[in-house]
Amino acid sequence: MADRALPDSGGSDFRGLAIRDLVIAPGASPITQAIAPGEIVGLAGLDGHGQELFLKMLAGLAPPLGGSIVLDLPGGGGKITGFRKAVSSGIAYLPRDRRANGIFPTQSVLDNFAVSTLSRDTRLGLISPAARRVRYDIYRKKLSIVAPRPDAPITTLSGGNQQKVLLARALALEPAILLLNDPTRGVDVATRHVLYDVFRGLAADGMGLVILSSEIEEILLLCHRVLVFRENEVAAEIAGQSLTTDSVISAMFGRAA
Amino acid sequence: MTGRNLFATTNARVIGAFCVAALLHAAGTALIPGYSTPFAVRAMLVLASLLAVASIGQTLVVIMGGIDLSIPFVIGFANVVAAQLYGDGWNFFLVCGLVGVLAIIIGGLNGLISRSLDIQPLIVTLGIGMVVQGLVLLWTAGFPSGSAPQAVSSFVSIGGSAGPLPVPWLVPSLVVLTACVVLVLERTPYGRRLYALGSNPGAAPLALIDPVRMWVVTYAASAFFAAVAGVLLLGFTGSAYGDVGQPYLFQTIAAVVVGGAALVGGRGSYLGTIAGVLVLTEINTLLIGLGFQPSAVQAALGFIIVLLVSLYGRERHVSATI
Amino acid sequence: MSSVTRLLPLWRRVGFAVVLLVVLLAVNLILNPARFQPGSWGALIGLAAPLIGAAIASTPVILAGRGGIDISVGPLMGFVNAFAIQVLFLGAGISSPLILVPAALLVGALVGAANGFLATVVRIQPIVATLGTYLILTGVTLTILPAPIGPAPAWLKALSGPLSILPLAAMFIGWWLVRRTPYYDQLMAVGSDDRAAYTAGVDVTRVRFIAYVMTGLLSGCAGLMLTALIGSADPNIGPTYTLIAIAAVALGGVSLAGGRGGVAGAAIGAIDIFLLQSVLTTFNVSTFVLQIAYGAILVLAVMLTALQERFATRGR
Repeated sequence: MADRALPDSGGSDFRGLAIRDLVIAPGASPITQAIAPGEIVGLAGLDGHGQELFLKMLAGLAPPLGGSIVLDLPGGGGKITGFRKAVSSGIAYLPRDRRANGIFPTQSVLDNFAVSTLSRDTRLGLISPAARRVRYDIYRKKLSIVAPRPDAPITTLSGGNQQKVLLARALALEPAILLLNDPTRGVDVATRHVLYDVFRGLAADGMGLVILSSEIEEILLLCHRVLVFRENEVAAEIAGQSLTTDSVISAMFGRAA
Repeated sequence: MTGRNLFATTNARVIGAFCVAALLHAAGTALIPGYSTPFAVRAMLVLASLLAVASIGQTLVVIMGGIDLSIPFVIGFANVVAAQLYGDGWNFFLVCGLVGVLAIIIGGLNGLISRSLDIQPLIVTLGIGMVVQGLVLLWTAGFPSGSAPQAVSSFVSIGGSAGPLPVPWLVPSLVVLTACVVLVLERTPYGRRLYALGSNPGAAPLALIDPVRMWVVTYAASAFFAAVAGVLLLGFTGSAYGDVGQPYLFQTIAAVVVGGAALVGGRGSYLGTIAGVLVLTEINTLLIGLGFQPSAVQAALGFIIVLLVSLYGRERHVSATI
Repeated sequence: MSSVTRLLPLWRRVGFAVVLLVVLLAVNLILNPARFQPGSWGALIGLAAPLIGAAIASTPVILAGRGGIDISVGPLMGFVNAFAIQVLFLGAGISSPLILVPAALLVGALVGAANGFLATVVRIQPIVATLGTYLILTGVTLTILPAPIGPAPAWLKALSGPLSILPLAAMFIGWWLVRRTPYYDQLMAVGSDDRAAYTAGVDVTRVRFIAYVMTGLLSGCAGLMLTALIGSADPNIGPTYTLIAIAAVALGGVSLAGGRGGVAGAAIGAIDIFLLQSVLTTFNVSTFVLQIAYGAILVLAVMLTALQERFATRGR
């Protein structure tokens, strides 16, 4: 399971996630993109216009109708053919619906954090609580998780802190590419800004981030580049100076900016 | 959830169940002469240990969010097949190995069919259990023969002793087994994944948990321990009997539930099941000691299960799940 | 696989249980024309009636969803059987149907209400709550009736043959009336998504409670049908109906997750099981083979139903 360290920031061999001729719906024109290390790419679009499907295909959760997704990574990576392959290649995915697909409500904060990376804490087949705690503490500090009792059920935490624990679970995989499906949905404003800082920090350390967000403000605030989806195609790719609320909304509604 | 009532946490439920068992024992001692004599206590410990072995699998399966109705049939299967083959002159270790492997296949099939096709395990385990029992009956023509080797009989005999201890080896072995099961559940990746899968099946695949694999392994383990119980019961009763497992159908479920597990999954512990086993054994012994007919004992058992679960096994109202 | 796919449209239209029904009926007619000649259909219905009744009775709580199940249906039938004969008929000398029938239905409804109270108000898991009543009812039945005893009143025994269609018809008409009330829509809504139903203002607890009462009422009726068939009281027969009835319900396409299916499917599932037993008996195989085939076909049937559903949803 993805037992490698993060690539050095901007390592010269690492060329990121290469998406070639990806078709996400019948009849839609193929998408070719590259997610570079250190880059934050936003996905925008009206609900159901393919941005979520695109993100899920990157995570290996939905089979593409055509084209390929390849993670180009020194000493790892490979073609993404399924979720497990994606994770072992170096991709982590944070799902949208926290309650349905994220948390394990009866389990403790620590259990929820470690569940994807259980084998890292084992000594002779048994989980070492100390090792797990040490690993958790790294992310607790990094994400400033407020959990007075990490052995209490995760449902005792606020929504924002639950989301941080889920993010910690994903980061514990030490991915090269992090896919976030509406990561600040139902999260309070203070926590949002903590998360934004974390995302920027991760990118600065060389991780590639793809963020799907239903809030344009958030995308403008965070992303270097935005892919606006319309009818299962990338209707516009906006970056730099031209990245404004107006340009994104125009593209979402299929109007020329 | 937490702190809302005394029994909110799993630990409190387990302690509560142990207290109930202790109270029942105290009541028995006060009401019935000879209730706490060494022989009576030994008999209760042996009966409880047999039920505890049969309940290991049900505990694991219930934590995962399933249910296993094939346990009594697998117990009967192991009981009869082991006796028959040993009676035919087979080496007993070979017999146990074969029975164990067959049980694992039966259980694996239960898990595979239920999970991969998303069918209620209630129906699948019942159907598979009936097939297994039918095959055994067909093979023995309904009249199983044979017996257990002396070693197995003395291993479970109420009058037996384990070295200096005045109990048969079954009891200390169960203590060790309990420690192993608790360790597996609390401290291994398998155990943590089991709880996670039961807690939220929808989130499990995204946390790199393979549901089908977990179900196959867990139902296989359930059938394996049912087979162990079947062989032990052979030693206990002395001769093979295909329906020997039938009382265990509801007793294993009752023990798991009284021990604080939720049948929707994600909650429960084997220590809780042990507490549940003790409660059930105490109630049985107490009521029979008070001169009740078996039928009245059964009725009382039903009443007490409902009473205990209403104390600490209540589900949330639908408005609390939105 | 391709032949399976070709059969699918047929299955989707008429349902797997009906296909099985037709096949089993045909096999029975070929194998044993004498037993299945039209003249003896009445007797056959009489033999199948308690199982059909038990399957119908098990349906409402399963439709109500969220693990709703009543495993006390069989013991309740046994209790009604014992209560009607041992206590009312032989004990108190009451033989009038005007008292026996309402009494049986009342007992059923009361036990159903107790189950409903435990499962919906106290909120104990339905399988645990009804396991409790299962044990209580079995124990009480054996206490008031330690051994089989007879006979049953003459009018009740008369309901065993062709006339067993009467209580079955009463059940169906009752359900048909329920289907015409707003309650039915609420029941199905609660069964398929209780959160949405709750948000839409449905009193989920009340709807589920009524489902348990209905199951109890129908079980009381099924208990009378059992009494008619065996013409006596037997404390050991009732409980054997529980699991077969639930299997029949599953076979009849009622989703054990709730919200899908109906009593017609459950009844067809029960007839399937009856016909299957009949086929296997004709082969004169031992009861052991019967049990093997019975379990295997049960598993295969639910597997095929699941596969069919999977294809059906994928095709959409």
